[in-house]
Amino acid sequence: MQNKLDTSTDPQVGFRPSGTLDPATALQPFDGRFGPRQAAHLLRRAGFGGSAADVADFSSRGMSGAVDALLHPTGDDLSFPDYPATDVLMGVNGGQAKLATQMWWLDRMLRTRRPLVEKMTLFWHGHFATSIQKVPAPLMARQIDLFRAQGLGNFRTLLASVSVDPGMLIWLDNRANTKAHPNENYAREVMELFALGLGNYTEDDVKEVARALTGWQYDGKTETTVFNPKLHDDDSKTFLGRTGNFGLDDVVNTLVMQPIHQRYLTRKLLEYFVYSDPEPELIEAVAQTYALSGYDIAKTVGTILRSNVFYSARAYRAVPKSPIEFTIGLLRYAGQPAVPANLPDALRRMGQEPLAPPSVKGWDGGPTWINTNTLLARFNFVNGFIATSAPKRPATSATPAAATMAAVPPAVAPAPNVQPDAVVAAAGGLNPDRVVEVIVSGALQDDVTSDVRRTLTDYLDSTGTTPANGEANPMAFGPENYQEKIRGAIALTLNLPVNQLN
Amino acid sequence: MSHRRAFLQQSLGVAVLGGTMPMAFMRAANAQALPALGTSINPGNVLVVVQMGGGNDGLNTIVPWSDDNYHRARPVIGVAETTVLKLNDRIGLNPSLAGMNELYKQGRVAIIQGVGYPNPNRSHFEATQIWETASPERPQTTGWLGRYLDRQFPLGTKPASLFEAVALGDTLPAALVAQHVEVAAIGALNSYAYNTVKDVKTSAGVLYDGAKPGGSPYLGLIADTARQAYHGGDVLRGKLATYTPAVTYPTDPFSTQLKLAAQLIGSNVGTRIIFVSIGSFDTHANQRVQQDRLLKYMGDGLLAFYNDLAAHGLDKKVMTMTFSEFGRRVTQNASNGTDHGTAMPLFVIGGGVKGAIYGEHPSLTDLDHGDLKYGIDFRGVYATVVERWLGRDPAPIVGDGFGQVAFV
Repeated sequence: MQNKLDTSTDPQVGFRPSGTLDPATALQPFDGRFGPRQAAHLLRRAGFGGSAADVADFSSRGMSGAVDALLHPTGDDLSFPDYPATDVLMGVNGGQAKLATQMWWLDRMLRTRRPLVEKMTLFWHGHFATSIQKVPAPLMARQIDLFRAQGLGNFRTLLASVSVDPGMLIWLDNRANTKAHPNENYAREVMELFALGLGNYTEDDVKEVARALTGWQYDGKTETTVFNPKLHDDDSKTFLGRTGNFGLDDVVNTLVMQPIHQRYLTRKLLEYFVYSDPEPELIEAVAQTYALSGYDIAKTVGTILRSNVFYSARAYRAVPKSPIEFTIGLLRYAGQPAVPANLPDALRRMGQEPLAPPSVKGWDGGPTWINTNTLLARFNFVNGFIATSAPKRPATSATPAAATMAAVPPAVAPAPNVQPDAVVAAAGGLNPDRVVEVIVSGALQDDVTSDVRRTLTDYLDSTGTTPANGEANPMAFGPENYQEKIRGAIALTLNLPVNQLN
Repeated sequence: MSHRRAFLQQSLGVAVLGGTMPMAFMRAANAQALPALGTSINPGNVLVVVQMGGGNDGLNTIVPWSDDNYHRARPVIGVAETTVLKLNDRIGLNPSLAGMNELYKQGRVAIIQGVGYPNPNRSHFEATQIWETASPERPQTTGWLGRYLDRQFPLGTKPASLFEAVALGDTLPAALVAQHVEVAAIGALNSYAYNTVKDVKTSAGVLYDGAKPGGSPYLGLIADTARQAYHGGDVLRGKLATYTPAVTYPTDPFSTQLKLAAQLIGSNVGTRIIFVSIGSFDTHANQRVQQDRLLKYMGDGLLAFYNDLAAHGLDKKVMTMTFSEFGRRVTQNASNGTDHGTAMPLFVIGGGVKGAIYGEHPSLTDLDHGDLKYGIDFRGVYATVVERWLGRDPAPIVGDGFGQVAFV
């Protein structure tokens, strides 16, 4: 048994940012400038991004205030339905139940005022990688609620709860694990995937842990988990160096006690929040924090979100956005009030269908998000969303006065933050350079080169053509074409390679 | 009870070429190694894999019409002897497979009977993973075709084309997941394209072509891939336009995809592997309605496909192979359908195939808890295709020791 982190199956290895970590100061609280870039970075990593107004609000709170607002949200969240409608969930059409449950969760991600809670829910969904392909929709929804309720609490509690969660009992067959007919599936995966990683347990450990986890049943009628002592093996077991008449709690306690567990989990948290392939010293430092906190997830995540390394240049825009981060981020930036109906399908084409991870291992992330298919799916999602974000106008022959706030219908506009008139107002008029500045600062905190600005300005103004007869250039940026042009510029900006980076 | 394990790079104990180089570098390096788009490439032997999704009922596909046990087990849904398209004095085709029958009479079709594997799984999700990753005992994250591609193009070499392997559909099937070779998923011609108005598109091209690496190691990967994605769709469409189908295809979605497959092959865009799906064959109820309709699409579609290819002189270089995640039970259920079962027949059609019937029809009396026993391991069929059609050693791809079938 090697008791070391096996990273041979992690495709993010090799994508560590260049430069060197200073282990002595990495986890100390950041006390540098906390401006729009830092606030946007925090919002992207700890949540799903936000609008320009969200970024400004966060940046005004200072780092500590902003992190506190995420970790310890005060005030109520918006109200959300408990589950999709029962008749849909229990309907014969599994596809409808899946879609309804996906939309239910995506809606939450889009509108929640507690983005870190939801981001951790997504983390645990990827970590415990249960799929709606095998688990009925109502039980998937229930598992998501479990992650939401316990995802920032104590990991020991979370692991115990997940082990007997009805969806998990079905997914990894522990409901079929009995003294007479042991089933090792969950025992193996809880060690390999959920707690310790490959190679840090033996086949004997698997057998013995399986024995300790016997007796848990799912009662479909009451939809609850039941422990049946008659099916439980209550003889002595020995695993990971401990012997006793062990049950579920002993398994959980033994697992979290292992130093390798502490490194295994904190490495995953670091890849989720900071950057790919974190240095062993950084993992060790966070692992110590995690252990000393008594396996408190909120304290561990809070340490990361306040740290020098988190706000370092090396960590900035250092990882690709996952499909959910990219799309929900776009919708939050745009101020979109509701999840578009095509989002689950688009996420599937981007490689991250919520509630349906591709394997028991979840999503590998990093470079696996990026191939021609997934990028085309992202680009076309943006193009489609921006094209359809125009509010429906009443039929009228009057052209809007371009230099002032035009007569936009005041009712709830889709995507208010990407409406051309709002952009023009912020730019103070139809000035292509100013319009580009507004778009690029709002969407990307100015993380673009001057070449990119020039291309965007040229696109708006089509300055490449010069009419021969001295008349006004018909392709110049102006009242006739500004709406279409601004929408195009926003789409181009959102589809820049840099916007794929978190 | 099957033991499903998340088991990754430990594929068959064979070291990945490139030694200890992390997978990330393989992908990053390969993204830059993609060939110039637009070159014409004649790729040699082509393989089309047709997934019959949902679990196709073999007994109503290749019908043991002269076996009384068959008719006794299926008093309502059984195919009547008067309608079956007889192949010999024991078996025949479901009458909906008239197109397949025509191909069979032309000597193009190998029917492989009784295909399966030990301890069969009857769950759609898991059984599909098993067939597509060719790993009943230890699930893998690469597919059998993906592993073929990784070996065909080891690190440091480049695929002949961005469209070397194509999945016709929105997402990549598990069969085509490779470690370091890019595979395109083409849902429809429109979807593999940067879709927007012309002037936006032009500027997007300027932005991607001019994107500079620097900063995160991911930025270079994204910029390169964005360039490929952006240009790939246009190149694809331009080349496909050079091929005109010689027949009128039926209009169902499967036939439409075969038409696109013929275009990919015939326009020398370099495609060598194509994956396409038809379904759902999960006929728990009213089987004769659903399965017969799908078999008709499949048979007629494949006939049109091969007629089209033949008119362009391409039929001999395209081999098509069907598979399904499981067959179905012998006895019909109470809803005039069948439930999940085990062994089933495969079709292999076209290039180089010696048209005949291979393997034994499973016994209808010597059953495994009411299900058919398999005779030929599916990995042997894969091994045959990999070795004799695609020209590679099958052992690192599907494992050792599976008997091959002499259909090619």
